[in-house]
Amino acid sequence: MTGSSRFRSSGFRALILIAPLLVFLGLFFVWPLITVITQAVSDPAVSRVLPQTAAAIGDWDGEGVPAPEIQAAFRADIAANTDDQAMGDVTRRLNSSKSGFRSLMGKTVSAVRENPDIDLAEVDKRWADTAFWKAIQDNASPYTDAFLLASLDMERDSAGSITSMKEGTSANFAILMRTLWTSALVTLSCLIIGLPYAMIAASVSGWKRAVLLGAVLLPLWTSLLVRTAAWMIILQDNGIINQSLMGLGVIKEPLVLIYNRFGVVLAMTHVLLPFMVLPIYSVLITVPGNLMSAAASLGAHPVRAFLRVLLPLSLRGVISGALLVFMASIGYYITPALLGGAADQMISSVIADYSIKSANWSMAAAIGLILLVLTLALYAVYNRLSRDPIQAR
Amino acid sequence: MSENFIRFQKVTKDYGTVRVVENLDLDIARGEFVSLLGPSGSGKTTLLMMLAGFESVSGGAIILDGHKINDLPTHRRDMGVVFQNYALFPHMTIAKNVAFPLEMRGIPKAEVAGRVKKALDMVQLGALTDRLPGQLSGGQQQRVALARALVFEPRVVLMDEPLGALDKQLREQMQLDIRDLHHRLGLTIIFVTHDQDEALTMSDRIAVFNHGQIQQCASPREVYDHPSNRFVAEFIGETNLLEGTVSAVQGEVITLELPGGTAFRSHGMPGFAAGDKALLSLRPERIDLFSEGAAPEGSNCLSGEVTDTVYQGDHLRVVVETGAGRIIARINRKASEWANGARVTLGFRAQDGWVIAP
Amino acid sequence: MKYAKAIYASLIVFFLLAPLLVILPLAFTSSAFLTYPIPAFSTRWFEELVVNSVWSRAIVNSLLIAAATTVLATVLGTLAALGLRSQELGMKSQIRTLFLLPMVVPAVVLGVGMQSLFVRFGFNSTYWSVIFAHTVVAMPFVVISVSGALTGIDRRVERAALSLGAPPWKVFGLVTLPLAMPGVLSGAALAFATSLDEVVLTLFVAGPNQRTLARQMFSTLRENISPAIAAAAFIIIVGTVVIALVLMLARRKRA
Repeated sequence: MTGSSRFRSSGFRALILIAPLLVFLGLFFVWPLITVITQAVSDPAVSRVLPQTAAAIGDWDGEGVPAPEIQAAFRADIAANTDDQAMGDVTRRLNSSKSGFRSLMGKTVSAVRENPDIDLAEVDKRWADTAFWKAIQDNASPYTDAFLLASLDMERDSAGSITSMKEGTSANFAILMRTLWTSALVTLSCLIIGLPYAMIAASVSGWKRAVLLGAVLLPLWTSLLVRTAAWMIILQDNGIINQSLMGLGVIKEPLVLIYNRFGVVLAMTHVLLPFMVLPIYSVLITVPGNLMSAAASLGAHPVRAFLRVLLPLSLRGVISGALLVFMASIGYYITPALLGGAADQMISSVIADYSIKSANWSMAAAIGLILLVLTLALYAVYNRLSRDPIQAR
Repeated sequence: MSENFIRFQKVTKDYGTVRVVENLDLDIARGEFVSLLGPSGSGKTTLLMMLAGFESVSGGAIILDGHKINDLPTHRRDMGVVFQNYALFPHMTIAKNVAFPLEMRGIPKAEVAGRVKKALDMVQLGALTDRLPGQLSGGQQQRVALARALVFEPRVVLMDEPLGALDKQLREQMQLDIRDLHHRLGLTIIFVTHDQDEALTMSDRIAVFNHGQIQQCASPREVYDHPSNRFVAEFIGETNLLEGTVSAVQGEVITLELPGGTAFRSHGMPGFAAGDKALLSLRPERIDLFSEGAAPEGSNCLSGEVTDTVYQGDHLRVVVETGAGRIIARINRKASEWANGARVTLGFRAQDGWVIAP
Repeated sequence: MKYAKAIYASLIVFFLLAPLLVILPLAFTSSAFLTYPIPAFSTRWFEELVVNSVWSRAIVNSLLIAAATTVLATVLGTLAALGLRSQELGMKSQIRTLFLLPMVVPAVVLGVGMQSLFVRFGFNSTYWSVIFAHTVVAMPFVVISVSGALTGIDRRVERAALSLGAPPWKVFGLVTLPLAMPGVLSGAALAFATSLDEVVLTLFVAGPNQRTLARQMFSTLRENISPAIAAAAFIIIVGTVVIALVLMLARRKRA
């Protein structure tokens, strides 16, 4: 019956206490993520340079040529623009929708600069072609799904419907699938190694348990970078494994253990194993120790007792652990970047390359948004599982 | 001695839409030991928490020594609070714990040491000053908590089920210790408990709580012998309740007719008139058992058959089926015993029964 | 069956610990390569870390940034954990989830967002941009660890202090904070370790002048793998162990 409020203002005081962190996260966490989202869907290149056209052409029905007012807005935009580089961007963008724009725009810009009221059809007869106006209309919106589509290797054709890109032009989708597949492999190997380990850790006591848990926790607190570096040392061509095997005469040539999928999965399994072991362990530790004995006394063979009693009970931990490992895997950057070959890079590397190497933030943001949505969906499931505990079985 | 040292006036406490204390009035005199007794959720702890300033008051006024203290912050109320789980500061030694309230009051260091020692000696813990609370037993910790709550000579001492976590023997010892301190130091103590024996043993007055209201507030003897209503009669001690109709009221004697035709004469609550429905509360130990027909003249009689006898060490509980229902009597070991099936007569005097409203 | 269990457990313990055991001795190799056997023991790679300005600069940067991150994350996280304790705070579980979310969001995604936002305000490639980025990912550890310590505090102990005459700010200073201190300290240590090890966000928001030890290790691992890596790893591991020991001692003292 000890009540809830010490003072009437307690809720308000709590708000004051959390406000600094809320503001901080708003500025340096939420805002960057919102930036990612907006960057992924915005394409202001055309609408910024041709603002009046963009506003007017939205109403055009797409038949024949646009009304004179719209054409006037277009001329006014061209006349008002002073940034040749931005106009160049617009031209490139339009040209990629409809070829021929490069020459058309060059001609039109110089004509309109001389005479702002010139009839466009007189400048070039292509302005009487619906397709060219349609391209402007398509690109006029400040929002686009082009980047999101491109991050899944898709695009809009000239008719506006979604199609797959030509084979070989983009590998984003393949890399996304590779990311999911590698993460699945890592999750599976963590499960295969971690489940028995957690069961053993929960079944022993005293110093044995301390050692088993310590072995899981110690790597968790040591630098991820250090552990990845260690694996590079172990797996390299003249690393410990190859040297020992060659010394023993088992192999003549060094095995390729690094810069391939094997190295990535092995090192990631090592790094993420604690996230599998700990949830399973914490579920199993609540299972009464005499349950297996009880099953045995009721006549169950040890294997059967395991399958029917211990495994179902540990299921909740297994699901939590698997979600955690998978969730962490799909966003992994450092380990694949260092231990993987070109064919093992995961989606994070692609994002980093777009962003850091080619400064293509729109593509980086679009792929990032897909990764973000995937991760948050998994987290929502995880959160739900850990909040209202489902009954095992 | 001011008669109304602490006054609760129409005090109400709401948690959202739930009203846990309702329009409660209670006056407590200086130097009085008042127990707040009731089932859990009856509002007794909430009332204590409002007095200590841990909970806000939703309505009404709490007055201490003539001043309204509704909005006075806890740390300026000058009340010593003892909690069930002791609530000692785990990171401070025993001496530091006891010195805490003195330091908060800016008392000079030299004086603090002396008063801490005196307070710990008072609870017989003078030797343990440098230990941490975690190194003490539950009983010792509660003594420290007591010393800490008393060392600054608070105006009132509030105790929230302070003995609830102790085992029976220790609890009884502490009950006597607290009673002794109360007499010796002339403390005003408000003591929350759900243990009726504790309340009966220690208090000058008991306030019986139910549903956020005080059902009765009176001396232990009065509460036990003359419960004001059915809840109090049933909550404190064991009782037999017999339903009937009042047929006559003469002075303090009420005549109650039972459905079987039997009539009893008993004392009871004032205000009954002929024709009222009523309950007779009959404590098991106030009933005498006789062989059938052997009851003395002038006492109330009811005959029945013994169906069970339960041995309880210092007494026997005898279950008797009568025309008015099952009645439990408690007889001492020197009285004669009856076999199951024996016909007996139950007898009690008018002053041993108590009539209450149904 | 029993032996099988023991062997299996030993193998996995070996798998978990072997990498750490392999890298530490290499910090003392005299060779220019990160390979076994070690020809002779030498401290040349530690000297390299001190003498080579790229490494020494990176170490100083890391310490500066980690120290600032620790202070910022600990203050913000501790205040927030205290606020989250109130029962009268609305949307508490949503706010809590928000505070833990930086641990979940892929670092690369956050990095992209931070970079393009910071660049827009001319704020990228500064010490503050790195410190703020590190604080975002280090703060959840503080919130978790301080919240854990706070739930261990019996509210009645604080009420007792109030009733004994301590005004609320003294209750906080004399009771709540000392009792939560182990949680604050381990939160701070985790924040420090997180900042020290942070690579991904650093790649996005740091310029050449804010190159940290972890960032330097990362590029060295990519380009020319040298035993300076092992020496740096040795420093990081020893640093972590020292912090852990200090924490354990602090906790031991309390218990």
